[in-house]
Amino acid sequence: MADKKKVLVIGGGFSGLTAAVETAEAGSDVVIVEKTAFLGGRVAQLNKYFPKLCPPNCGLEINFKRIKNNADITIYTLAEVESISGQEGNFNVTVKLHPRFVNDKCTACNACNEVCPVEMPNEFNYGLDKTKAAYINHNQTFPFTYVIDGKHCKGKACAKCVEVCKYDAIDLDMKPETVSLNVAAIVLATGWESYDISKLDNLGGGRIKNVITNMQMERLASQNGPTGGKILRPSDGKEPKNIAFVQCAGSRDENHLPYCSYICCMASLKQATYLREQYPDSKVSIFYIDMRTPGRYEQFYWKVKDDPGVTLTKGKVAKITEDTKTGDVELVVEDVLANNRITEKYDMVVLAAGMVPSTKDSKIPGEISYTHEGFVVPAFLKKGMFAVGSLKSPVDVARSVQDATGVAIKTIQSSRR
Amino acid sequence: MEKKYGVYLCKGCGIGEAVDLEKLKTRAALKGKVPADIIKEHQVLCSPEGLELIKNDIKEGTNTLIIGACSPRVKTDEFDFPGAITERVNLREFVAWTAEPMSDDAQSIANDYMVMGIIKAQKGDLPEPSILPDLSTALLVVGGGAAGLSAALEAANAGYQVVLVEKEAELGGWGAKLYKETPRSHPFEKLEEPKIFDKIKEVEAHQNIKVFKSSVIEKTDGQPGLLDVTIGKNGSSETVKVGAVIMATGWKPYDASKLEHLGYGKPNVITNVQMEEMAKKGKITRPSDGKEAKKVAFIQCAGSRDANHLPYCSSFCCATSLKQAKYVREKSDDAIAMIFYKDIRTPGQTELFYKSMQNDPGVLLTKAEVTGISDAPNGNLYVEADNTLLGEKIKVEADLVVLATGIVPSTRAPQEYLDGLTEAGKKGDEAKKVYLESTPKPEFILNLAYKQGPEIPTLENAYGFADSGFICFQYETRRTGIYAAGCVKQPMTMADAAEDAAGAALKAIQCVEHVAKGIAVHPRAWDITFPDPLMIKCTSCKRCTEECPFSAIEEDEKGTPFYKLNRCRRCGTCMGACPERIVSFKDFSVDMVGTMIKSIEVDEDEFRIIVLACENDAYPALDSAAIKRIKLNPKVRIIPVRCLGSMNLVWVSDGFSRGIDGMMLLGCKYGENYQCHFIKGSELANYRFSKVKETLDKLQLESDRCQLVQVAINEYDKLPEMINDFVERVEEIGPNPFKEF
Amino acid sequence: MADATVVKPDLDFVKGVIAAGGESLKKCYQCATCTVVCNVTPDKNPFPRKEMLWAQWGLKEKFQGNPDVWLCHQCNDCTAYCPRGAKPGEVLGAIRKQTIKQYSAPGALVDIVNKKALMPLIFIIPAVLLAVLLSAAGTFKIHEGDVIFSKFASTHFLQFVFTPVLLFGIAVGVMGMRKFWADMKQTNKVYSGDLMASVTATLKDIAGHKKFKECDVSADRFTSHFLVFYGFVAAAIATAIGVLYIDILGLESPFRIGYGTPVKIFGNIGAIGIIVGVILMMSNRFKNAEKLGVGSYFDWLLLSIIAIVGISGFLAQLLRMVSVAPIAYPVYFIHLVFVFSLFLYLPFSKLAHMFYRGAAICFNKYSGREVK
Repeated sequence: MADKKKVLVIGGGFSGLTAAVETAEAGSDVVIVEKTAFLGGRVAQLNKYFPKLCPPNCGLEINFKRIKNNADITIYTLAEVESISGQEGNFNVTVKLHPRFVNDKCTACNACNEVCPVEMPNEFNYGLDKTKAAYINHNQTFPFTYVIDGKHCKGKACAKCVEVCKYDAIDLDMKPETVSLNVAAIVLATGWESYDISKLDNLGGGRIKNVITNMQMERLASQNGPTGGKILRPSDGKEPKNIAFVQCAGSRDENHLPYCSYICCMASLKQATYLREQYPDSKVSIFYIDMRTPGRYEQFYWKVKDDPGVTLTKGKVAKITEDTKTGDVELVVEDVLANNRITEKYDMVVLAAGMVPSTKDSKIPGEISYTHEGFVVPAFLKKGMFAVGSLKSPVDVARSVQDATGVAIKTIQSSRR
Repeated sequence: MEKKYGVYLCKGCGIGEAVDLEKLKTRAALKGKVPADIIKEHQVLCSPEGLELIKNDIKEGTNTLIIGACSPRVKTDEFDFPGAITERVNLREFVAWTAEPMSDDAQSIANDYMVMGIIKAQKGDLPEPSILPDLSTALLVVGGGAAGLSAALEAANAGYQVVLVEKEAELGGWGAKLYKETPRSHPFEKLEEPKIFDKIKEVEAHQNIKVFKSSVIEKTDGQPGLLDVTIGKNGSSETVKVGAVIMATGWKPYDASKLEHLGYGKPNVITNVQMEEMAKKGKITRPSDGKEAKKVAFIQCAGSRDANHLPYCSSFCCATSLKQAKYVREKSDDAIAMIFYKDIRTPGQTELFYKSMQNDPGVLLTKAEVTGISDAPNGNLYVEADNTLLGEKIKVEADLVVLATGIVPSTRAPQEYLDGLTEAGKKGDEAKKVYLESTPKPEFILNLAYKQGPEIPTLENAYGFADSGFICFQYETRRTGIYAAGCVKQPMTMADAAEDAAGAALKAIQCVEHVAKGIAVHPRAWDITFPDPLMIKCTSCKRCTEECPFSAIEEDEKGTPFYKLNRCRRCGTCMGACPERIVSFKDFSVDMVGTMIKSIEVDEDEFRIIVLACENDAYPALDSAAIKRIKLNPKVRIIPVRCLGSMNLVWVSDGFSRGIDGMMLLGCKYGENYQCHFIKGSELANYRFSKVKETLDKLQLESDRCQLVQVAINEYDKLPEMINDFVERVEEIGPNPFKEF
Repeated sequence: MADATVVKPDLDFVKGVIAAGGESLKKCYQCATCTVVCNVTPDKNPFPRKEMLWAQWGLKEKFQGNPDVWLCHQCNDCTAYCPRGAKPGEVLGAIRKQTIKQYSAPGALVDIVNKKALMPLIFIIPAVLLAVLLSAAGTFKIHEGDVIFSKFASTHFLQFVFTPVLLFGIAVGVMGMRKFWADMKQTNKVYSGDLMASVTATLKDIAGHKKFKECDVSADRFTSHFLVFYGFVAAAIATAIGVLYIDILGLESPFRIGYGTPVKIFGNIGAIGIIVGVILMMSNRFKNAEKLGVGSYFDWLLLSIIAIVGISGFLAQLLRMVSVAPIAYPVYFIHLVFVFSLFLYLPFSKLAHMFYRGAAICFNKYSGREVK
């Protein structure tokens, strides 16, 4: 334990945060590199966790607090790793920092947001609403510093935000920078993306307005979402009272994602409780191939199943059409156990879209092997490099946390060797 | 430390426009009893210039800072002044962003908060850590199966000494009994040779690991960093000193004798464990006549997912049966393996294994509810099932039936025994005695010499699993320094257990490292304060020893409580519990909060309500409401506390005697799915509140003036409304009659 | 549980279906996507999901009298959307083949069309037979002068040889169809219905190629099947008129050289239909090969025979026009051989679908199941 070597964590989602904080609290210096402007990743977009139905922001808040209280953690947001070379104990990493156009003087007073004339699709809400180009993604976010979206901002031609900022916090001239790091170990924690449902042509993904993804459902149900937590269907803002969940939308399908995405069964059961709680007269139908609620999650499944407003049917929905007049959605499914094909109309349909490792489309630089589906193959990783959570196989938050905590000990081994 | 004060007011972010700072200064100086000239203001305190102002004062000797600016949740790097007591007063979120600017209300709120901030700084002190001598950084791993071996290796490879205790004569646990393992790596198609034996070798050869086989733990005494563990082996005992513990004692198969309805007891009905043994020996035969089994039926969820047996899914049995189907098929090409499942559960990439196994012509699968096993000719059996894909009621002949039995955590038996004991204890000493005499004592695991019991308490409705109950924090434990891993915690595969064990090992390392520095562990993993009781006034009422969520307080022979400080998590529950109010932290005490409450200005014709807010969830929620500029009721004054468990009832009388009209507690959800990271904070506070009713009634005060509201961090939209509701209710009751005094 | 059905898995049947072109059978995990995307299945007890499971478990008795495998037109919508690559379209094709086997006799002829190794026999048997018969008639040679095929095989010869073969094929097919019909009635416990109306409706469906229009993925199959189907109908009509001209009316053959009768033009249009149709069928299979598979040996055998019949017939006619006797006669002989094969294997090859599918569609109407 001679000199204290740094550990790099790529990705500031819950896995990355956990790996970073746990490593730092065990006594190592940690650098987090996060691609977006804020930490928290997918977890920040969730309304509640299954099976406890507790708010994920609670855990994020605690982890942010741990970061604030720990001098050994450095954070780079809007940062992307450009190159990785070297070996365990001595990796050289270059990181490109994209400009935030807002400096540390920002007090998050929101004045820039008020004057910003640019509206852009809100990625945090999966395009369900718009946001200004000067924004924070939600009000419990971290770092609690605004960002100006370089792509959408009109730049100095507009500069209304610069005028209004009393704190000299906006710098539209900010340029990209590159930083070089020397680290002993690297944790890959770049997480996952929701499967692009527009590829599911028979399910009307991306085409039918009232066919949404499970992640969009999380946003609709969240207080900090586009509807302030009221679940309303996108086409006309109507309260959906008859909702269907389509499991394995993309997952367990070799035309899309051949693996099981692990979380979707529990996620849909959980979202059924959102609807049933918000609209006690609502009806929820869940169509599945196999109901996968491992371990004690089974209890949650039983609880939801016992709700008379929830129907579970074994059978995969494979055809969805839109009633263009009413915006309602019609789906076709075989009730497998009854051996009967049924056609049913719903106010809204939620596709339980699967998880795609972020490395499917954006590979991390360095010699890293991936499966055809884009997962990192841990056995082929260089010594001193570790992948966590959904980069290896689809997992839920609980298992990501186990994994990320476990990886922290490996980084310590690497940095102390 | 002689305190030299500096009070700073920020005018930025609307504070300057919301409050008359001159009035605020005057008021703060007067009531806070500080010289007016030390109160300084700045346009933007967090700007480099503003910070310069503070730093210059520090150079001049100022060491106690009261900063009236934004929430303590933000600008933490800027307002970080090591060596100085820093008290941040939330004028931005709680005044400028939530009160009517330049109103009397805004002024009054700001005045109260500033004064309370000054008092807090006056009553507090700069903490210094308490570090106990002779600490050990060695780790104890209990259990030598997949999880235990991994935990031992990971910790040893990180440079820590490890003591591994295994009950059996050999290491390896269930992993060593397997014929083959389910595939763990891409392309997830081939069965793998068990890897456990390599791990056993590595562990046995590791210089940092000392292995005790055929051994059990007779006693675990002490506290993190100083745990004396008595290990018993063949009648003799040895005591080792360790710093922290990883409990990886795994699982037992569900008792198949309870599965008579699935044919267990018939000669040709075996369990998946027996199948593994048989495959390992070479041939798959029927026990009744030794004939090679050609038609093997696998019954999934034998016991699992069954309200009468195990109401959870055992997680690995689907993959195991698919694997064992492969055994059947490998041994003979004309054999068939039939799998009757409720749902096939092969999550994640294990799906690819399912896919490849399914493709074998001799592996036949159907969803089914197996209703029974009956005899067929020639020693064969009929599997009888309902609601199958093959028809509503079917029966299929098999020559061997394998029950995919599930797992029972090794913690379950002791837990049930202890639960029974508690129940009996409630009925009186006689019942307890009868229980102790009549109930066979199961094998205990840790045998903790702790006031609150010999094992890790498990969650309600967790069926004995030593799970954390927190999604975000998988290793949150109720016994500091003791971390569960593997199937003792949740049903999981061996690969997952290895990952989990690494995590538990890390937490154990963090624990020994933190106690070495006198820092608390999660969730206050930065805190160097600690409870410092004034023992002279202790009446040995034992409320603290009972209420401490972490069994950090023991009693000596005379019944006097004493702290095992390294078990303490600094929640302050003892401080809240103590009727003599003797427990204090350097920066948090009964007197401190009491004085703050008493400092609140109470006008005769104004309602004043105190809100004690949990700083983990309620306080950030209030901040968030402020960020959305939702108005807060101007009649309330918010005081953050570490945990509602630290709420001392004296604060209630402090408030009401001073004319406060109501008191509201904002804490986490409690009950089965509790969200309190100190286990029972809000529940305890609520319990104490129920006790206060009597006191209030005596004072002829309505007990409805006190209320606890459970709130989650994401309920910030509703929170101001919840507060309004409470204020309204208090207004309906009317003003506190003590006001006039 | 007295009323429980005893399920008897038969691994050999599973392996049989796999060998018959259903090698993807076991990949099915019963999600029922196939049933949903199928445009021709009824809603009640739909297919092909349940058939996939029966086949996986080797429950051969379930296929006895099962109309559903024949209701499938193998449009392959199911295969396109199958998440597991289980290709229900192909598997049902393989099961149909097994059904043909079950209902057709003699077994030897069934084997010939099913076993790849026996493929040469398909051509050698008719070739030898025709050669012997033609030699016996003394016409089995290349004739000098203008190419006149009746010199090689007289009209009467053709009638005497080919009519019995065709009748044999039809008779075997009809017998199989009747057995199948009886099984369907028994299995589905249907004892009465409006048979005539069902038959008429079925013929209407077939004439209009109604079912084909319902396909999504391989909609162009409508065109190709339509062309081949009506190509054969046209050819058959032309042939019948020929017989009428020559044998009944005693006129000259309407097909003779330099004589552009409407009948001949009609026949030629049919021939072109067959050729274009079959080429389309083949190219479609390649076009969709990645997703749907190129099809089984059994499929290709029939396609090849039809293609050769069409092309050789057309070519023979062209060669006759340009009078290249040394090639024209052999080509004509090949044409005859393959027409012979087509007739002989009618109830054994994939062509047998005309009996069984026709019966299944009819039964579906007869049993009232088609009504939605």
